[in-house]
Amino acid sequence: MLSVRNIVKQYATHLALDQVSLEIERGKIFGLLGPNGAGKTSLIRIITQITAPDSGEVYFNGEKLNSNHIAQIGYLPEERGLYKKMEIGEQVLYLSKLKGLNTAEATKRIKYWFEKLEMKDWWSKKVEDLSKGMQQKVQFVATVLHQPELIILDEPFSGFDPVNADIIKNEILELNQQGATFIFSTHRMESVEELCDNIALINKSKKILDGSVDEIRASYRNNTYWIEYEGDYPVASNDIYDVLQTEKVKANTLIKVQLKTGKTANEALASLLPYVHLHRLDEVIPTMNDIFIEKVKGQHHE
Amino acid sequence: MNKILLIIQREYFSRVKKKSFIIMTFLTPLLIAGVYGLIGYFTYKGIKDTFDKVAVVSQNKTLSERLLSDKNISYTYLDESLDEAKKNIKKSDYDYVLYLPEFSLDDPKGIALFGSKQAGMSLNRRISGDIEELIRNQKLKESGISQSDLDKLKTSVDIAIKKIAETGTEQESSAGASTFIAFAAGILMFMFIMLYGIQVMRGVIEEKTSRIIEVMISSVKPFQLMMGKIIGIAMVGLTQFVLWIVLTFAISTVAVSVFVNKDEVKKISTSTQVQPQLTDATQASATAAAGPIGDIQKSLAGLDIGKIVTIFLFFFLAGYLFYSALYAAIGSAVDNETETQQFMMPVMLPLLLGYALSLSVVTNDPYGNTAFWLSMIPFTSPIAMVVRLPYGVPNWELALSMIILVLGFIGTVWTASRIYRVGILMYGKKTTFKEMFKWFTYKN
Repeated sequence: MLSVRNIVKQYATHLALDQVSLEIERGKIFGLLGPNGAGKTSLIRIITQITAPDSGEVYFNGEKLNSNHIAQIGYLPEERGLYKKMEIGEQVLYLSKLKGLNTAEATKRIKYWFEKLEMKDWWSKKVEDLSKGMQQKVQFVATVLHQPELIILDEPFSGFDPVNADIIKNEILELNQQGATFIFSTHRMESVEELCDNIALINKSKKILDGSVDEIRASYRNNTYWIEYEGDYPVASNDIYDVLQTEKVKANTLIKVQLKTGKTANEALASLLPYVHLHRLDEVIPTMNDIFIEKVKGQHHE
Repeated sequence: MNKILLIIQREYFSRVKKKSFIIMTFLTPLLIAGVYGLIGYFTYKGIKDTFDKVAVVSQNKTLSERLLSDKNISYTYLDESLDEAKKNIKKSDYDYVLYLPEFSLDDPKGIALFGSKQAGMSLNRRISGDIEELIRNQKLKESGISQSDLDKLKTSVDIAIKKIAETGTEQESSAGASTFIAFAAGILMFMFIMLYGIQVMRGVIEEKTSRIIEVMISSVKPFQLMMGKIIGIAMVGLTQFVLWIVLTFAISTVAVSVFVNKDEVKKISTSTQVQPQLTDATQASATAAAGPIGDIQKSLAGLDIGKIVTIFLFFFLAGYLFYSALYAAIGSAVDNETETQQFMMPVMLPLLLGYALSLSVVTNDPYGNTAFWLSMIPFTSPIAMVVRLPYGVPNWELALSMIILVLGFIGTVWTASRIYRVGILMYGKKTTFKEMFKWFTYKN
């Protein structure tokens, strides 16, 4: 539904985005990853039409991005705020009217959301009287109220306590099931694995990796397994595997082995079976965090 | 367009509904009326209560007449020597000792005033005036003019000032009333442009520091947000202005008619130098029985108040737009209010200069070159033109000044919006003029 093609954005002294292209499919949750200053926010600002690219195009549902699309995009910036002196209800109403809703429809939806997120009696409170987490909830409601097709969340969970973070996460999944497409910008990898279908990794203004989370993780497998067995029988490297690590866990032993080329996990198990009582075998699949660090660090060394 | 309307609405109602706005709007006229009432009261009381006792030690034989006492001053001639009088000043109930030595009438020298207190300006002026009159009369007498002729010399003159209108009819006008209105209009214009310009700046900074700006500009264009804010606040200003005028007028009228005796008002204004314009006004049409206020009201009838108010509102709006756009640009360039100072100066300076020159040079010579140019340059024209207005300004000059000002504000709004759209997204950097110029040149 969103196609970003060869975007270049140059600021006075540095290149913020260098030939970045992305394809985001309808109904997916897309993770936009990268370290601070990589160019994520610049890219988001181009998609939300806050700034324009120097070259390259963005297509929204096959149409070149234009001001009619503003109402179909919801954006929760990382640096977010509200008018401090305004009443909550009035404020959300104002923001949604700016997105093109009429007063009656907006009021109805605000009431629905306030009820859903246990904010019913907040309507006439002022923002300055709310805690930071409560403000974030209000902002989330303001972002999704006009039922945008595309919802862009920049570091959505920063500032939330675990309970509220969970509530918001469930709302995101529910909206996603109803058909909303999400772009998630973050450097917190746990939430990426939990929520995202696809990701793109941006570092130093360039896209260095993209694809589905499962595929990326699979491609970073390196035939490493955790094996747990009873007792403390010593296992050493042999011609099937190398032992990378040995740990004692209560009465059990945990070893991390890497298979040699051409060997399989079955062979490794077969070699162990005569000696130990096996409890489990897990493949070590690198987390997004590992991949992230590896890719970003790898670039720094270049 | 619809979005600008929404923004204007929010900016307007969020300010008008504030308690501070309501309190300020209703209290300020009371305060203004109260302050003027107090000034009037104390000036009057001061004049009535001032009474200086001056002992005169005269060794002068040329002056045949003596200094005359009245209700504000008493002269008592002593037979003591100056040294004794000085010694006794603490014990006696005289405040001052005036020493008149022997001098020639053409070159009076050596006159001195001694006192346990330092004599003020007005007492000094008063006594020297009295002595000058004494000397003048003495000289006239010496040149052979009799006392009765001297008395006849005292005439007071009233000039009825009539302005010949373009239609050829004579209008009763008054330099005093014109000056009064010119001052009031100039001060109001200056206050409004500054107060509301700064409100625009604060509003922009508030959006920046509260970080709502990024949410806002993902829904609306920066230009819409800026213009919405500027127009919304302009309407707040207009609302307040209209309320103030109505309330001040109502309260002052009531206060004047209830608390102040009309004859006393007249006495004050003729006997003080506090507001010379008012005094002129009173003398110009001494026939008016109602005192200076009634007098001004009367000469107001000679001025086309409807036209003045309309043109005032035009220049207020255009001048405010001209300056508030600049204030918006400043607000967008900084992170908090303390950083605004370096940018405020260049914006405040022309406004202050226009204000100072308008109230001095322009009121002195409302048709001169300086007045003309001040009322053409858009930085100063909002103030200078409304100051000139009560004296009468040719229509072509008015039209030219308006056109220049409109072009001016289109220029500043355009310039400001280019700085604003970049500035509002910049955080944590200390902005310089060089940087602002760079922002200005960015394409989108």
